[in-house]
Amino acid sequence: MFAYAARRLLTVLVTLFAASIIIFAVLQVIPGDPARLMLGINATDDAVANLREQLGLNAPVYARYFNWLADMARGDFGVSYTYSAPVRELVGERIVVSLPLAILALTLSTLVAIPVGIFTAARHGTATDTAAMAATQFGIAIPNFWFALLLVYIFAITLRWVPAGGFPGWEDGVLPGLRALILPAIALALPQAAILSRVTRSALLETMREDYIRTARAKGLPQRRVLWHHALRNALIPVLTIMGLQFAFLLAGTIIIENVFYLPGLGQLVFQAIQRLDLIVVQSVVILLVGAVITVNFFVDLAYAWADPRLRHRTQ
Amino acid sequence: MSDRDLIATEHDDLGQLFRRALRNRSFLIGLIITLVVIAVAMISFVWTPYDVTKLTIADRLKPPSAHHWFGTDHFGRDIASMIMEGARNSIAVALVAVAIGTVIGVPVGCWAAAKRGAIDEVLMRSSDVVFAFPALLSAVMITAILGPGAINAIIAIGIFNIPVFARVARGAALAIWPREFILAARASGKSQARITLEHILPNIANLLLVQGTIQFSLGILAEAGLSYVGLGAQPPNPSWGRMLSEAQTMMAVAPQMAIAPGVAIIVAVLGLNLLGDGLRDVLDPKLRRER
Amino acid sequence: MSDPVLQITNLQLSIGQNPILRDIDLTVQPGSVHAVVGESGSGKSMTALATMGLLPQEAAARGEISFGGHNLLTLTEPDMCMLRGDDIGMVFQEPMTALNPVKTIGEQVAEGIRWHTNASRREAEDRAAHTLERVGLPKAKFPLERYPHELSGGQRQRVVIAIACALKPKLLIADEPTTALDVVLQKQILDLLRDLVETDGTGLILISHDLGVVAEMADDITIMREGEIRESGRAIDVLHHQRHAYTRQLAEASIHVPLWKNRKEADAGVAQPLLTVSRVTKDYPGKRTGLFHRGEPFRAVDEVSFAIPEGRSVGLVGRSGCGKSTLAHMILALDNPTSGHISVDGIDTVHHGGDQAVNLRRSMQVVFQDPYGSFNPRRTVEWLVSEPLHTLPDTPTRQERRERVAFALDEVGMSTDAMHRYPHEFSGGQRQRLAIARAIITRPKLVVADEPVSALDVSIRAQILDLFAKLNDDLRIAFLFITHDLTVARAITHEVMVMHDGQIVEHGPSQTVLDNPQSTAAQALIEAAPDLRKAIVRRRATAAQ
Repeated sequence: MFAYAARRLLTVLVTLFAASIIIFAVLQVIPGDPARLMLGINATDDAVANLREQLGLNAPVYARYFNWLADMARGDFGVSYTYSAPVRELVGERIVVSLPLAILALTLSTLVAIPVGIFTAARHGTATDTAAMAATQFGIAIPNFWFALLLVYIFAITLRWVPAGGFPGWEDGVLPGLRALILPAIALALPQAAILSRVTRSALLETMREDYIRTARAKGLPQRRVLWHHALRNALIPVLTIMGLQFAFLLAGTIIIENVFYLPGLGQLVFQAIQRLDLIVVQSVVILLVGAVITVNFFVDLAYAWADPRLRHRTQ
Repeated sequence: MSDRDLIATEHDDLGQLFRRALRNRSFLIGLIITLVVIAVAMISFVWTPYDVTKLTIADRLKPPSAHHWFGTDHFGRDIASMIMEGARNSIAVALVAVAIGTVIGVPVGCWAAAKRGAIDEVLMRSSDVVFAFPALLSAVMITAILGPGAINAIIAIGIFNIPVFARVARGAALAIWPREFILAARASGKSQARITLEHILPNIANLLLVQGTIQFSLGILAEAGLSYVGLGAQPPNPSWGRMLSEAQTMMAVAPQMAIAPGVAIIVAVLGLNLLGDGLRDVLDPKLRRER
Repeated sequence: MSDPVLQITNLQLSIGQNPILRDIDLTVQPGSVHAVVGESGSGKSMTALATMGLLPQEAAARGEISFGGHNLLTLTEPDMCMLRGDDIGMVFQEPMTALNPVKTIGEQVAEGIRWHTNASRREAEDRAAHTLERVGLPKAKFPLERYPHELSGGQRQRVVIAIACALKPKLLIADEPTTALDVVLQKQILDLLRDLVETDGTGLILISHDLGVVAEMADDITIMREGEIRESGRAIDVLHHQRHAYTRQLAEASIHVPLWKNRKEADAGVAQPLLTVSRVTKDYPGKRTGLFHRGEPFRAVDEVSFAIPEGRSVGLVGRSGCGKSTLAHMILALDNPTSGHISVDGIDTVHHGGDQAVNLRRSMQVVFQDPYGSFNPRRTVEWLVSEPLHTLPDTPTRQERRERVAFALDEVGMSTDAMHRYPHEFSGGQRQRLAIARAIITRPKLVVADEPVSALDVSIRAQILDLFAKLNDDLRIAFLFITHDLTVARAITHEVMVMHDGQIVEHGPSQTVLDNPQSTAAQALIEAAPDLRKAIVRRRATAAQ
C-alpha cells in the first residue's frame, strides 16, 4: 500500500512539473514579449522596458521558469500588474467562494446520484428504471449555466426566495454564505448527478453479471444482499473514476456559473485578468486549478487501492 | 455494459446491422434529431427567415409570433434565424474538435498499446498531463495570449479530446493485442503497424464511433459554455452560448430570450447522446445475445 | 438403498421457443457420485442450474425436481435461498473468476455460514477456518485474510469448494470443476470431492465432458445429448458395456488414435534437424516489492535445449505454468529469449533480419487453442486463410491467392464456399480446420500447435487429430504439439518432452516416456492423468472383489 501510494505521488509530482512547463511556455514563452502583450501595442518602449524590469523578464527563460517555481514553493505567486496587489491575496479572497461551491456541488451530486444509481440498478428493467434513465438523459443534456439562469428566474426573480446574485462573504456566519451558494451548487450538480447515476447503475449491472455474483447467489444470499455486499464495492472503481473527473469539471464549471450569479470567485478574477491582459494572474489561477485537478486524481488513485485489494498488492 | 463489450467478437453484416439499428428506439430518435439539427445548420447557409446582422430597433423584444417564431432580441434580431446560424457554429466547433482528438489521439493510443513498456508509459503520462487541463482552462490561456475568437474554443476542446481518444483507443487495443488472431498475425510475420491497421483498428472502430458521438455532444456543451463567458465565437457571428449571455442581461424583462437557445442546446446534445447510446446497444454483441 | 437426495422427474425446459431439455429423469443417492456427461450443448449445465434455481429469467421449466420433500421448481425465491448454500452447494468451472476479488477468502466462506446459521462473526470465522483446513488450505499457511488474487487457480477452486461445503450440504453440484485445471490439480480436486462425499454422505452431481474423469469418480452416470438422456445406469456398467451407440461413440472418440502411416517412422538421427533450441532461458523481471526494489527475477524457461528433425511430430507436455507456452512463443519469435539460440531451418529466430525474417515466417506457422479467438471477426475466411501469403517471395495475384486458399481449404476438408463467409458462421471444429488451413497455406516445414484440441468436444477432437496425422503423412510437416493432455500426446507424436519448472526433465519416444516415465515430474503427470480404459479395468477388478 505504501509503495503504491509513493509511486502514485511520484507520478503526481512529475505530472505537476510537466503541467507547469506547459503553462509557463504558453503564457510566458509563446507570446514573445509578455510585457509588450500586457501593455498593448501603443505602449511606449520605456513603459515596456520598465515592466520587463519589474517582472524580471530580462533573465533567461529557464531562470525565469525556475524562479517562478521557487517563488510558488514559498507561496509567492507574484504581484498582479493591474491590481497592484499580491496574486496570493487576490486568489485567497476568491478561493473561499469557488472551492466551497465546487465541494458543495460534488457533495450534492454524489448524495443524489449514488442512491439513484443503486435504486435503478436494483429495479433494472422496471418502469421506474426506464423513467429515471430518461430523466438522466435530459439531465446530461442541460447546460449548467442555462439551468442556472432558469433557477435565477424562478427562485430569485419570480419567487424572490434567494438573492439573484452576489456573495455576502463568510463574515456574517455560514448560513448567509450557503444561501448564496445553494442555487449555483444545484445548477452545477444536476448534470453531474445525471452522469454519475448512470455510471453507478451501469457499473452495478455490469458487476452483477460476473461469475462471483453467481457464487454468492449459490451461497443462498438473496439478490438484493448480493447487490449491496458483493456488487457495490466492485462497481466503485468506475464510479470513483467519474467522480474524480467530475471534480475537475466542477472546478472549471464554477468559473462559468460564478458568471451567472455574479459571485466574486476565481472565475470573475480570471475573466477580468484576461480582459486586462494580466498574465501573472491568469497563470496563477490556471496552475492552481490544474494542480487541484491533479491532486484530486491522486486521491482517486488512493481510493482505488482502498476499493480494490489487487491494486494494494500490485504496485505496477 | 463495459466498453470492452464493444470490441467486436463477430462480424456485423451491414444490412442486419441497419435493420437492428432501426428497431432501436434510442438510435432512431437520436438519429432523427441529429439529422434535423445538421439540416437546420445546412439550410442556414442558403436561407434564414431574417438577416441576423441587421438590427431593427423597432422590432426589439417581440414575443414569439408567426413572423418571429421565437421572438426577437433586444436589438430586434430574429431569434429563430440566430438559432439556425448558431447551430452551424456549434456543429463546426464540436466536429473539428472531435476530428483533432481522433486524428491525434487514436494513433497515439494505438502506438502506446502496440509498443507497451516505456513508450506506453511516456505517452500515457503525457496524456495525463493534457487531461489535467479542462477545456475551459486551455481556452483561458489561449484567449489570454491570442485574444478572443471562435478558433480558441476549437483548439481548447480539441486538445482536451486528444487524451480522451488516446485512452479509449489504447484500452481497447490492449484488449485486442493478446487475442489469438493477433498472435497468429504476428506469427505470420506482419509488422505492428500493419497489424494495427488490418486487425486492431477495424475491431476498435465501434468503440471509437460511440466515443466520437459522446465527445461531439460534450463539445457542443463545452462550446456553449465557452461562448457564454466570451471565450468562444465573437459578434456578429451568432452562437447559442452568447445568445444566452445576452439573454441573461435581459432576464428580468424578457425571460423568453433565454428559452430558445437553451432548448436548442438541449435538443442537439440529447439527440447525440441518444444516438451514441443507441449505437452502443446496436453494436454491442453481448447485449444482442441476451435479447 | 436409502432415500435419494435428489430426484428429477420428467424435467422439461425451454428458453423462449427453444426447447433446451426434454424428459430428464435423474436420481442422486446420498454418499454417491452421479456423473452427468455430454458434449457442449447437451444441456448438462442447464440441468444443474435448474436444480439450483439459478436459471436465466426467460427460461421456463416444468416437471419435478424433488429435494427434501420439496419440488424445487415450485419453491419461492426466499425458500430457495434457504436451501442454496445450506442444503445444496455448487462448484463452478472457472475458479479464476468465481471469487469476489475485493473480499478475503475468510469473509467469503464465513458469509454463507453466518447467513444460514445466525452464527456470530467469531463462530463463523472459526468454522470457515475449519472448512478451509478441510479442503487443504490450513490457516497457518493460508490465513483467512488472504484475497483471492493471492491464490493460484487450484487453491481458489478449493476455496469455492469450501464455500459450497461449509454447511455440509446434502447435495453438491460440481459443474466441470476441474476443466480449467491441469491434470495434477484435477486429481487433487477430484480426490477432495470424493473425500467430502464419503465422509459427509453428500450426494454429488459431477458434470463433465471427460469420460476418463467420470470413469474414475462416478457411481452412477447419465449421458446426455441435445437436451435428452441417451443412457443412464451404474457407471462401470455403462462404460464397460457401452451398449448405447452414442456412449460407444463418445468412449471411442475420447481414446481415439488416428490412423497415421508415419507413426512408425525411421530413427530420428537420419533426418536433418529443422528446429534447434539451444540453452534457451527466459527470465521475467520480479514483482516490485517497493518503490525502487524488485523481487528476484522469475525464470520461466531454464536452459532448454532440443532439436526437432524434419517431418517429426514432437509433444511438449507439462503442468500449467511450467513454461511450455513461453517456450512456444520464443520458438515462434513472438518473444525473445533472455539467452540462448533458436534456429528454424537454419535461420536464427532472434538475430534475423530482412529477407531471412520473411523466410523464417514462411517455414514456420502456428495453430492456437481457442477456435473462437483465432480469427479476426471482421474479415472473410479468404482474407484470413491467405494472411501468411504475404511472406511469399512474389506477391500472388488475386486469382493465385484464391486458388491457394481453395486448395488449402480442400486439404483440411472444408468446402471452397467457405471463402466468402465470416468466421462466426462456423462451428468450433470447423474453425480449427480453418486455422490449420491458414497454417499450412505457405507449405511450412514446422507447425507449432498450442493446445490445438483442448477446447473441442471429444468427437470433434478425434477428427482434428486425424487431420494432423494426414498432414504429417502427406506433407511431412513437422509438429510441435504443446498439450497438457497425455492422450493427445500419445495419439499424434513420435517423441514427448516433459517440462517442469522451466526445464525439460524427460525426452524420449512417446511410447517409452508415457508408459514408463523416469522423472518424478513425468510420473506425477502420468499418474494423475485420467485414463478411461485403465479406470474401467481397475474399477471392475475392485467391484469383483
